Amino acid sequence: MNRVVVIGAGLAGLTAAADLRHAGVDVIVLEARDRVGGRTHGVEVAPGAWIDGGAAYLGDRHTDLAKMIADLGLKTTPTTMEGRSSFVLGPERIVREGRFPPLNAVALGELFDGLDDLVRRVRPQAPWQSDIPDDETAADWAVRTLTHPDARTFFPLFLGEMMAADPADVSVLHMAFYLSSGGGLRYLNAFEGGAQDSRVDGGAHQLCERLAAELGGDAVRLDSPVHAVEQTTGPVTVHAGGSAYACDAVVVAVPPALADEITYQPGPVARRTTGRTAPGRAVKVHLIYPEPLWREQGLSGWSVNAAGPLLSTVDDSPVGGGAGVLTGFVTGRAATRYAALTPEEQRREAIAQASAIFPGLPAPTGFHVTNWVRETYSRGCYAALFGPGDWRVLGPRLSTPDGRIHWAGAETSTEFFGLMEGAIRSGHRAAARILAHTEPSRNQQPPLSS
Amino acid sequence: MSVEGVAHIFGRVLEVGDVQADADFFVLGGDSLLATRVLSAVARDYGVELTFDDFAFSPTPAALAARIASVR
Ligand SMILES: Cc1cc2nc3c(=O)[nH]c(=O)nc-3n(C[C@H](O)[C@H](O)[C@H](O)COP(=O)(O)OP(=O)(O)OC[C@H]3O[C@@H](n4cnc5c(N)ncnc54)[C@H](O)[C@@H]3O)c2cc1C
Repeated sequence: MNRVVVIGAGLAGLTAAADLRHAGVDVIVLEARDRVGGRTHGVEVAPGAWIDGGAAYLGDRHTDLAKMIADLGLKTTPTTMEGRSSFVLGPERIVREGRFPPLNAVALGELFDGLDDLVRRVRPQAPWQSDIPDDETAADWAVRTLTHPDARTFFPLFLGEMMAADPADVSVLHMAFYLSSGGGLRYLNAFEGGAQDSRVDGGAHQLCERLAAELGGDAVRLDSPVHAVEQTTGPVTVHAGGSAYACDAVVVAVPPALADEITYQPGPVARRTTGRTAPGRAVKVHLIYPEPLWREQGLSGWSVNAAGPLLSTVDDSPVGGGAGVLTGFVTGRAATRYAALTPEEQRREAIAQASAIFPGLPAPTGFHVTNWVRETYSRGCYAALFGPGDWRVLGPRLSTPDGRIHWAGAETSTEFFGLMEGAIRSGHRAAARILAHTEPSRNQQPPLSS
Repeated sequence: MSVEGVAHIFGRVLEVGDVQADADFFVLGGDSLLATRVLSAVARDYGVELTFDDFAFSPTPAALAARIASVR
């Protein structure tokens, strides 16, 4: 194996590229955008203070991610959740201890019982073999099983927070799979000790920037959207803009909807989406203050708001001080609406809501919207959402190579599907599979990071 | 005997074996999400709808059983 072309410079593609380079393979990474990182993206909100416009949170079970963070010389910082939470779920605002919403506890228990039952029944390594009928959306399931209005109020908020999904956009099987794949209901829901335990100090985008820097030179080609891949009897040829790259194998590490837009000759290759596959929809809003001012009132910054647009907020202030950062999540149907507003309207709605949740909060000194709904090269944020029937069609060949085309990306991993950890695992898997078919290389290069 | 019944619910939800009558749910690893599942089981088994605060003040099988008995 002499040369591999990796399509996509997100976590999956760059992980694969680093592994291949480590093994002495010549690697070129073709990236459509003018930056690396994909669904991780840093925004500098104050000199030296970066926030995550994209992926941010991680937990102790994200072991490959933890190893990458350490290998690249980065650190994590714990998320903070001290103080009382704010809830606007009905006409009035309620402030109370803990993250437990002021809704009927028995109703929520029924919801979580139902979800727990699904998580137990799903087979995370092969969801299409689960004993869960795959003809229903999560919205159908909610109508059929949730009787209490409080459960019906909370379910879409919960799913929005977990998957950036509108219940009508996702199959009940995929919801069950996703919850199981990510470590179960409790793990995914928890901050301390769970999947939101920490963030990458200084921003998750640094992972991809450092991986790309270590690949060095002109290994990563930006502004190079790939539109065709040709497998002939000789080399494989990858076409991006006016350039053609000949190689021995290809790793397609782009989101499913974009992988399907590439032309493969001779075809066909296994499709990555169907007509039922929907994009997750998320907008992340950052309100910047001189300090985390809500803490002065004993508030944690955590809030849940049924009317939106900021369905939930969380305190993402940097540990060392220097700024107060309130992150607002707009997901699912609310994201579709919010994404279509003008920047002034987005700003006005977000600030009005922040001051309704945290009375007395002054106008923010900075305001940033990261609108993933509009990102041509993501098309599904946090991730793609499988609809009814999708797992049966797409699942069996999710990570099976088509000839010399190998598939990677957060949506090709049955472990931690749709998360940074899943993306990294998929990159390792694709590289390992290519290397398994390779004769030992004669000119091994030194390891990337010592 | 509802102390045993409640202890059984704790054990099932927490996925642990025998739970003592005076064992604290939150010390055994319970959290608010799992607490709601205890309350839904209590509603099913005893026909009593308790609130999250009821549970927070009575987080052992003995205390919760007493609470159930007092509102029944
Ligand atoms: C708002 C938001 C919040 C999130 N929160 C979390 C979180 O807290 N924790 C967590 O673990 N995960 C989170 N995620 C998910 C996480 O970001 C992704 O799972 C992960 O980053 C995906 O990595 P990837 O390499 O598979 O895909 P991507 O990051 O999407 O990378 C794919 C790359 O391919 C490029 N590309 C696309 N088409 C082409 C083409 N034709 N030719 C060349 N290049 C192309 C893209 O530009 C992109 O750079 C979040 C995502 C979003 C958007």
